[in-house]
Amino acid sequence: MTTSHELETRLRETAERLLGEKKVSLFLGYEKASLPLRTTPLFLTAAEQAARLAWNPFCTANLAVYLPRLFKAPANAREAKVAPPPPTVAIVLKGCDARSVVALLQERQVRRENLVLVGVACPGMVDARKAEIALGDHEALGAGEDARGNVRVVVDDGTEVTLRREDVLADSCLECRAPAPAVYDVLLGESAEAKETDAERRKAAEFESKPIDVRWTRFQEALSKCIRCNACRQACPVCYCKDCLLDQTRPRWIGAGTDFSDVAIYHMVRALHLAGRCTECGACARACPMGIDTRLLARKLTLEVEDLYGYRPGESAEATPPLSAFAMDDPQEFLTEP
Amino acid sequence: MSQAQTVREPVAEKTWEPKVVAFLCNWCSYAGADLAGVSRIQYPANIRIVRVPCSGRINPAFLLRALQNGADAVLVSGCHPGDCHYISGNLAARRKFALLKSLLQYVGIESERVQFSWVSASEGGRFASIVEKVVEQARALGPNKKLAKSL
Repeated sequence: MTTSHELETRLRETAERLLGEKKVSLFLGYEKASLPLRTTPLFLTAAEQAARLAWNPFCTANLAVYLPRLFKAPANAREAKVAPPPPTVAIVLKGCDARSVVALLQERQVRRENLVLVGVACPGMVDARKAEIALGDHEALGAGEDARGNVRVVVDDGTEVTLRREDVLADSCLECRAPAPAVYDVLLGESAEAKETDAERRKAAEFESKPIDVRWTRFQEALSKCIRCNACRQACPVCYCKDCLLDQTRPRWIGAGTDFSDVAIYHMVRALHLAGRCTECGACARACPMGIDTRLLARKLTLEVEDLYGYRPGESAEATPPLSAFAMDDPQEFLTEP
Repeated sequence: MSQAQTVREPVAEKTWEPKVVAFLCNWCSYAGADLAGVSRIQYPANIRIVRVPCSGRINPAFLLRALQNGADAVLVSGCHPGDCHYISGNLAARRKFALLKSLLQYVGIESERVQFSWVSASEGGRFASIVEKVVEQARALGPNKKLAKSL
């Protein structure tokens, strides 16, 4: 396995080369954050600053979320005249992020010819919240990685704690079926393997096996924490609509408050919009301030789309998303017959 | 749209009758309902019809809104596959409906609360028997309390 340190060096070299040779005008990557266990997105424009780039077990953010706004079409002809040409962007992608880029390519939100995809074989990223819980009363002052990929944290009493990587991996990483990027121009690191290929299906089946009223209670328990901050929508790379259904007020489709029926409908509508598009990066779950398993519903619909229409999002930019297509012989057992 | 339908009269349990909102496509199912009427075929008066241009026009949010605003069940009906006035609106809709139905079932809402069917303009009898079936099932389930907004 290539260590994070080696990958970081190669990432910096790649950025320096691409920016130095003027292949790209912007390099999107990660930078060490002010807090341990976290990184922050880095918008790099100068080759000299490539050393700011970081690669460590905390590079969780899905950078694809920034792409649609970089390639936003001018609103009208007058704006189009003065609009600068679209930038050329290099972007660091893990397996899930690469799937998001594929989804954006399918939906014509980004230009492939303006992108340099720097894929990194991803060993799974650490969920900062899980790590904080694992540390208990201690506060992390610094964090790194040992040779076996486990997380080493310096805590407030000056001692060093080692956390097993598997124990603090994000849920979406534990469920990830394809950690290696499907599309890339540059690939760093050797191929990564899925932890457990059936984890997602196991989780959905576990929920589904409960009686109907228990499911409803569980659903209520899970979502009643929701404060309707819309962070899950903002963090989602495929939620890019300029006029979101949620922001419409005439008619107001979904009430803005935290009445449970509004919360339930919000999450159901979001899940339906993500059906066949969700690339399972877990950005929504990381963004949620209330720690809701925001992927509860999207997980089910991803599997449903796979079973009914044999489609998995983010695998090929040439494929048609299943909700933009149909077939005469689509299954219709759900119909009511007299 | 937003204020109009939020007033719901308190109904005594024994006089409770299910309310079913039916979204019917203009070209087939609405005409089918019309045929049931002109043929004097009896069917329960519990349905409230909303005419839509095509079943492809229906956004799953319509159905969820109906359930939120006090419908006990929702029926969606369009042209049979291959007969759509707009060639393929119902086929595109079918995928959305399949997912909505399994999603509702997944979160614990009885799947009989949302029903889909194909009714052509010549099938007045079929329309009446579908309505009978949907109303019967809604009655058996009782009032929709899970998604209804109670403020």
